[in-house]
Amino acid sequence: MIAKKFILFIVVSLLMAGCVEKEIIDDVNIEMGLGYDLKEDDKIEGTVMIPVFNPDKRIGNFTFSATATSARDLLQEIQRKSAQPVVTGSLEIALFGEEMAKKGVIELIDSFERDASIGARVYLAVGEGNAKDILSGTYGNRGNAIHLSDLIKQNTDKRNLPKTNLHLFLFDHYQKGKDPYMPILKKLEAEIIDIVGVALFKGDKMVHTIPADKMFFFKLLTDKFSQGSFKIKVREEEEQAAIRDLDSKNKFKLTKRDPYSITVEIKIEGIIREYTGQMLTPAMIKKIEKELENTVNEECSTLIADFQGHGVDPIGFGHFIKSKTRGFDFKKWEDDYKNLTVHVKTDAKITEVGIVE
Amino acid sequence: MKQLFKKKMMKELEKEAAKQDTQGNTGQEQDNYLNDHGWEILFKKSHDFKKTFYVNQKTGKKFCFSFITTLIDESILQNNALPYLLERDFKYIEDVKKLIPIADVQISERNEDIEKKLFNGYVLLTLEGEEKCFAFIAAQKEIVRNVAQPEVEFSVIGPKESFVESMDQNLNLIRKRVPVKELIIENYTVGTLSHSGVAILYIDGITNTDNVDTVRQRIKEIEFDEITDSSYIVQLISDNENSPFPQLLDTERPDRVAAILAEGKVAILVDGSPHALIGPTTLVEFFGSFEDYFLNYLLSSFFRLVRLFAVAFSILITPIYVAALSYHYELIPKDLLSTLITSRREIPLPPILEALFLELTIELLREAGARLPTKVGQTIGIVGGIVIGTASVEAGLTSNVLLIIVALAALASFTTPVYRMGNTIRLLRFPFLFFAELWGLLGIVISFSFLLTHLIRLTSLGRPFLEPLYPPRITDFKDAIIRLPFKKQSLRPQYLRTENPVRFSKEKAKEKKDIDE
Amino acid sequence: MSQQPVPERLQISPFLVLYLIMSMQIGIGVLGYQRIIAEAAGYDAWISVLGAGLSIHIIIWMIYKICGTVDGDIVAANAYVFGKKIGNLVSSFFIIYLLIFALAVLRTFIEVIQVWMFPELSIFWFSLVFLILAVYIVFGGFRTVTGIAFFCIVLPSYLLLTFSFALKYADFRNLLPIFDHSAKDLITSAYKMSLTYIGFEIPLFFYPFIKDAPKSQKWAHLGVFLTTIIYTILAIVTFTYFSEDQLAKSIWATLEMWKIVSMPFVERFEYIGIANWNLIILPNICIALWGSSMILKRAFKLRQKKGVIILALFCLIAINFFDTRAKINFLNDWTGKIGFGVTYLYIPFLFIATMIVKKVKNK
Repeated sequence: MIAKKFILFIVVSLLMAGCVEKEIIDDVNIEMGLGYDLKEDDKIEGTVMIPVFNPDKRIGNFTFSATATSARDLLQEIQRKSAQPVVTGSLEIALFGEEMAKKGVIELIDSFERDASIGARVYLAVGEGNAKDILSGTYGNRGNAIHLSDLIKQNTDKRNLPKTNLHLFLFDHYQKGKDPYMPILKKLEAEIIDIVGVALFKGDKMVHTIPADKMFFFKLLTDKFSQGSFKIKVREEEEQAAIRDLDSKNKFKLTKRDPYSITVEIKIEGIIREYTGQMLTPAMIKKIEKELENTVNEECSTLIADFQGHGVDPIGFGHFIKSKTRGFDFKKWEDDYKNLTVHVKTDAKITEVGIVE
Repeated sequence: MKQLFKKKMMKELEKEAAKQDTQGNTGQEQDNYLNDHGWEILFKKSHDFKKTFYVNQKTGKKFCFSFITTLIDESILQNNALPYLLERDFKYIEDVKKLIPIADVQISERNEDIEKKLFNGYVLLTLEGEEKCFAFIAAQKEIVRNVAQPEVEFSVIGPKESFVESMDQNLNLIRKRVPVKELIIENYTVGTLSHSGVAILYIDGITNTDNVDTVRQRIKEIEFDEITDSSYIVQLISDNENSPFPQLLDTERPDRVAAILAEGKVAILVDGSPHALIGPTTLVEFFGSFEDYFLNYLLSSFFRLVRLFAVAFSILITPIYVAALSYHYELIPKDLLSTLITSRREIPLPPILEALFLELTIELLREAGARLPTKVGQTIGIVGGIVIGTASVEAGLTSNVLLIIVALAALASFTTPVYRMGNTIRLLRFPFLFFAELWGLLGIVISFSFLLTHLIRLTSLGRPFLEPLYPPRITDFKDAIIRLPFKKQSLRPQYLRTENPVRFSKEKAKEKKDIDE
Repeated sequence: MSQQPVPERLQISPFLVLYLIMSMQIGIGVLGYQRIIAEAAGYDAWISVLGAGLSIHIIIWMIYKICGTVDGDIVAANAYVFGKKIGNLVSSFFIIYLLIFALAVLRTFIEVIQVWMFPELSIFWFSLVFLILAVYIVFGGFRTVTGIAFFCIVLPSYLLLTFSFALKYADFRNLLPIFDHSAKDLITSAYKMSLTYIGFEIPLFFYPFIKDAPKSQKWAHLGVFLTTIIYTILAIVTFTYFSEDQLAKSIWATLEMWKIVSMPFVERFEYIGIANWNLIILPNICIALWGSSMILKRAFKLRQKKGVIILALFCLIAINFFDTRAKINFLNDWTGKIGFGVTYLYIPFLFIATMIVKKVKNK
């Protein structure tokens, strides 16, 4: 009997005192998109995007902004303006305005890192122009945040955008001898967003960009395994071929020290999706393969030279050489990087040509 | 009223005695014989107690039948006893055995036996001159239900016999299936008022004697007045009375009893109960239907897995709903998020109250359905399920997602083959809900830990209840969560510690064939 | 002076020692040991994890030698070496050790919950429910404690698979070049592993409860070996998933790796993982409570039922004093240090002493 009374007492007092704060899904504002823009006097304008779930299953958008001097104050400002608590656990995408990205983003990203409720698969992107403008449009009917994150996901999985997310950005940022990057989004029309390139960071500041048409080569260099698609012109003939890269691998080899020399071996296996000529003879395929190899070699070398010129190392040559060297000196590497020679060797193979020859 | 009744009875008896008097010669001694004995006083208060006097035609000795009319078959008395006793040479009480063609005749001198025998449907016979000695003649009136189809444990394939209320008939059904002398049936009487017969069945040389001793001792120690069903026995002899889990398996199928006897378990039959008890048992046994043995092992293994999944689903799904919606919105996939939020948009109740409301509604429907005749019960189910469910969603009391979840959970709880376990599972949901409301997923894991501990601590007749999961015994997995083919079942379950662990020789059963042979 | 034999119905099968040891070893340390060991030996620290794990086998061997010689538990061993009075005094030190261990585990787990799930979780109420659960388990006797240890290894073992999601992001070049650190660094980080590894000394407490106790030694070795493998693999996965400076900032690297997990029905796995961790913590507390109350019973003749409740109450009160991260760190540091002292200093000492006393007594 005493035991029963004791249990009853515990149950009642648990209900009274043991409870923790609830976050019932329909009583909170679920923040799914975030944008940061730099304003005058180094103030930051933060834009929060919250999906509105309509009874007809269409998801609307609701955005509002606040201005503050630091990321922490920003959250306070936003909470104050909201009728229901804003929760960050389902954040899908964070956008940084161009100016913001050039000034440095690590202070903002640190708040993501510190917040246990934010996942590691959050997409980061630079918004060309203004982040707020991009967030305040209406794209698709699943809500802006989901639309934008699906857009990046689709382009990463199947097309030419290299893998990026919060974890990879932090990984690269904290990795010695490697610099982070993120995609650049641009609002083309009222309802269309496009990925127009990749922003390269040195430290936490955006210093350089790669245009969209070079992203295919960039992805070949950065991602160990990748997919993408690319259109080439066969030089001697007038024909054009669109190639879908199904499976490509890259491998680095350190061939010489003092000064360092690296060979990058790229293997591409692809299929031809479009071809403007009449017949795809085996000889023609050979030619296309050759052409593809040459193009990749050239373009990749140009890209790397470009990076060296800007002093950024998004491919991680420094990290690679460190893994081959005992007691690697990163101070010295700063200079060595400029003198690094990189040879790109590509091996392309066309496996299928579609259902017609 | 009572007084009046009594007087009437007395008059009748006196009249009867007077009638006898005219037949025989009167005297002081004979009058004594006609008088009431001490033990009869209480009996005479019941109107169905009768005492009749007769005189043997050869010896002229008076004799007398006492019996309870409602319990005996009077035609037996009229046809098989009375003619012989009246016409043949009936001098001593011992002669009864020779005179009448009834096998079950017992002679006794003990007054204590009288009550027991009379209420077991015997007729008491006394002879003039030997008042101290009685003969008991069996003349039971058998009111027996026909053997019917099993209803609780119905199976499409397999035998269609089920136990009835008569223990003799039940024993007959079992004996037919295990026709060996090693099948031992021990009989005990329990209950100070009900005097219920309890039989312990086991196979000598297979069943561990410790198990039998445990059952025997616990049954002997039962202190209760009226035992009307085997369910009383389950609760009275279970290892832990405070556990919601049944610790003995009950079945209405004689074939199942025969099968478990062969495994080396003990069965308990109670007179007046159409359910036999089986022990020691394990948790997983409650999720195996007996039909599993009639199907191919692949099918039955699959069904067992489905049932186990259904149990986990039934207990956990509503608490998980409450936990996820109250605390862990991050967990919910973003495609589901909009469905959940839209469905909960108009609902004023927090998830826990919403869930409790629906769970209790389902319990109400079930209770109402169970208390009503079958036909009406079905109607209630449909009315409740469709009308109340739809209406409460439309009225904005509950969300339609939760309605689906709760209905599925209720459905899943009915897949448990043993009815008692199904009830337990329905109850278990509520502590889980409480903890889910308190600490979300963490609370669910804590309540799971409590449940796990309880199950580890639980025993059935002193054997671990959670076996073969814990203590882990790989060999017993052959007939637990899955069922392996019969060829692999050559050993009896290890936890029963049987005296003869081998069911059949593995070598003989194994057939070796090459391709195209 | 050997102790009274434990009746067979209370004993456990030898192979269950595997689960007891693993469940006691794997606890709270595994959530964030990667950062601590990488401080000294960088990304070579996985070698230290392996090395430290292998060194444990010597200690296990010593434990079985000690227990086999005195045919009893730690109380019997201490009494054998020091005599009854001093022996009991030494044994009572183990009560404190086990209590501090339980306290550190429970408090750190509450901290994890507070940081990751419920910032407002009340330390008192959670500890109360948790300790009621633990007492309920210990009341079931050693077989129930073992049962919990068994299930709490088997049920959450699926969590290991979830780390394969992190492998998709693995950069194995992080580990290269191997042996880029000095032996001293490696030893320092092996020492720092001790909080994560301690727990393997528990056969000292339940040795008489094992059926055919000497047979269980191989299972004890196997248990330690499996833990070592799990820790090493987890360390390697972590090192490839995080860059070095990134890991230096991650207090709970193991939990952070769950942030990358994505499944169709669960968007974020770490909440499920942390809730599941409750199961992994449970045997830690139960075994510690059982062990300490057992020593109380053996050394001071206190009924174990009373002993458990007293010790649990002590934990319940003491835990409220550790309310900041600094204090929790202090508690964990000291648990690690005491654990190191007990396993690597005291046990070898006891081993040598037992052998000497045995020689002397035999003469």
